[in-house]
Amino acid sequence: MMTASPSSPTTLPLASPIEPFSPEPLRWVAEDGRPVRDLPARYTPELLRELHREMVRAREFDRKLVTLLRQGRTTFYAQSSGMEATQVGLARSIRVGHDWVWPYYRDHTLGLAMGVPMIDLISQCLGTNSDLCKGRQMPHHFGSASKNFVSISSSIASQVPPAAGNAMAQKYLGTDEITLCTFGDGATSEGDWHAGLNMAGAAKAPALFVCENNQWAISTNLAAQTASPNIHIKAKAYGMPGFYVDGNDIVAVMEVCGYAAEWVRAGNGPALVECLTYRVGSHSNADADAEKNYRTRDEVNSWLARDPIARVEGLLAHLGHPVDAEERADLISAVHRAVDADVLKAEATGQPDWRIMFEDVYADTPPHLREQAAFVRAEMEGQK
Amino acid sequence: MTATQERPTGAGETRILTLIQAVTEAMREELARDERVVVFGEDVGARGGVFLATAGLQAEFGPRRVFDTPLSEASVVGAAVGMAVRGLRPIAEIQFADYMGPGFDQIISQAAKIRYRSGGQFTAPMIIRTPSGGGVKGGHHHSQSPESYFTHTPGLKVVMPSTPYDAKGLLKAAIRGEDPVIYFEPKRLYRAAKGEVPSHDYTVKIGEGAIRREGTDLTLVGYGGVMPDAERAAAALAAEGVSVEVIDLRSLVPWDRELVLSSVQKTGRAVLVSEAPRISNFMGEVAYVIQEQAFDSLLAPVGQVAGFDTPYPYVQDKVYLPGPNRITAACVKALNY
Repeated sequence: MMTASPSSPTTLPLASPIEPFSPEPLRWVAEDGRPVRDLPARYTPELLRELHREMVRAREFDRKLVTLLRQGRTTFYAQSSGMEATQVGLARSIRVGHDWVWPYYRDHTLGLAMGVPMIDLISQCLGTNSDLCKGRQMPHHFGSASKNFVSISSSIASQVPPAAGNAMAQKYLGTDEITLCTFGDGATSEGDWHAGLNMAGAAKAPALFVCENNQWAISTNLAAQTASPNIHIKAKAYGMPGFYVDGNDIVAVMEVCGYAAEWVRAGNGPALVECLTYRVGSHSNADADAEKNYRTRDEVNSWLARDPIARVEGLLAHLGHPVDAEERADLISAVHRAVDADVLKAEATGQPDWRIMFEDVYADTPPHLREQAAFVRAEMEGQK
Repeated sequence: MTATQERPTGAGETRILTLIQAVTEAMREELARDERVVVFGEDVGARGGVFLATAGLQAEFGPRRVFDTPLSEASVVGAAVGMAVRGLRPIAEIQFADYMGPGFDQIISQAAKIRYRSGGQFTAPMIIRTPSGGGVKGGHHHSQSPESYFTHTPGLKVVMPSTPYDAKGLLKAAIRGEDPVIYFEPKRLYRAAKGEVPSHDYTVKIGEGAIRREGTDLTLVGYGGVMPDAERAAAALAAEGVSVEVIDLRSLVPWDRELVLSSVQKTGRAVLVSEAPRISNFMGEVAYVIQEQAFDSLLAPVGQVAGFDTPYPYVQDKVYLPGPNRITAACVKALNY
């Protein structure tokens, strides 16, 4: 039933299948870093250190981007702090650049972990000439054709039916690609979400749907979002397995998502994975005082105690390879320097000029847009 | 569907087809020409679509190329976006234009925007075919003309043929194009409109209108289902000695402003006809451009004949539609101004 993936050792399927619809989130590593089940051999200290570095990089990227926001150099940013294990783990569960990804708006850590250059993200957030998306979307809505990472859309769950279609095309074309489609818990209330899962299920399309359940859709919590006890059980209605994972345990995310990805790739149809995690920060700069308005400090603190980065550090310590404080400090300052350098590089490319507004509406610019562009040109020349 | 009626023109150069036969033929030829083309929607497979536009295609090309989907317009449109992004040429059928509502977000947020929002990194060349307009006693959920919702959305091309020749040529152009196209099919002309269609491969360029009848006294502009009535009105006026130029827009986005403007500059009068409700009707844009760019040529205010601003009625179907009498009256009003 399963096919191995020789090109990506981190996505090898497990010897024994992982059962779907577990009542509790599956985990491999406890909060203190102690393994709670056998750790597959591939989790060498080298791999765990690599994962740790990626997670720290993501968290520090968040910090720096919030600073840019406060400096007024960008206008929107949605932190992923607290969700690093889910997104870094997801990137390791697929074949980057081979599979296709229809992400949601909080997936910059997934993008970074997939190898989208940091400057591409920064350029999109700043809207500079180096922005691959040419300054059209609000900040934090990037896309990267080289990684098959489809440009993010603001409208919630609207990426889900296209992801189903992308997977249907992969099946039609006879590829061994899969489509990864991510979304938050709030998206599962939208009609498009149900339509997309239903379509992919009916078509037995190779789509891996992953809910990054961070438990808050801006200020609406999961209990107000759905009467279901969790998200993954909804998979039953669409004829696909639903897996429940501790999204703050990167080993669990990689094991379950890696397994689900290969199960999907083998032609079994789509699967749904729910990664239970937590957004530690606010939804965005629009609700910077989340703790004052809609959730308690106690709740946030209880999740800080389950921090995904600390968990990997605990695991490394348990394995006799602790991350020392100096090493961590060096890593953090290296990320800060790299972000600063990329910000300067991006800003040096300048802002896209007005012409860009009229491009890419259609493959060829039709007459009415050429006229409107000519109007702006005349206006600009008049201002000289 | 009736069999194709061969016309004794020799060498099979043209045949008389109905509009729906032309639609089917366009899809059949494009399915044969390009492996990337797939046709899908609700009931389009074995059944061949509610109007039989896809009849026989699944039998000919198999369920891999022509297939039924779940009853979900959001899925049909959204999946088309994803298929197009991944390299197919999807032709999605929405059973009736009235049911585009559940797929609306997919059309305006995904299909129309993905090229722009990604800086051209990802594109969705796809077609949404849908029967639209009234005249078949369908009531308001089977008779509406929602084209203005889509002409208002940059990134979409919007076309509506009124002849079999255009139906085939425009659909082929849409399939071979690089943009998402909303392809409205005036359902009351599916079998009523018959005309010559070449046997050889051809396309009709999206964005070019057509002069259906030349004239010098007034320009009558329409598209889709109203065209036969517009031509009847022009014929009736011709009997009274009035020379009406009849223009079929064929494409709404982009639309052929030069053709309309040069005609109005020649005739000095314009009457615009559509069956969609009047407020925010696409013809409002045409009227605006005429007054902006041909004001000095105008001998009378631009006339408009449209549907009423009511949901489409069932029993009073014929009263709602702008028939030849209403079109003639609007022309007479412009002529007597």
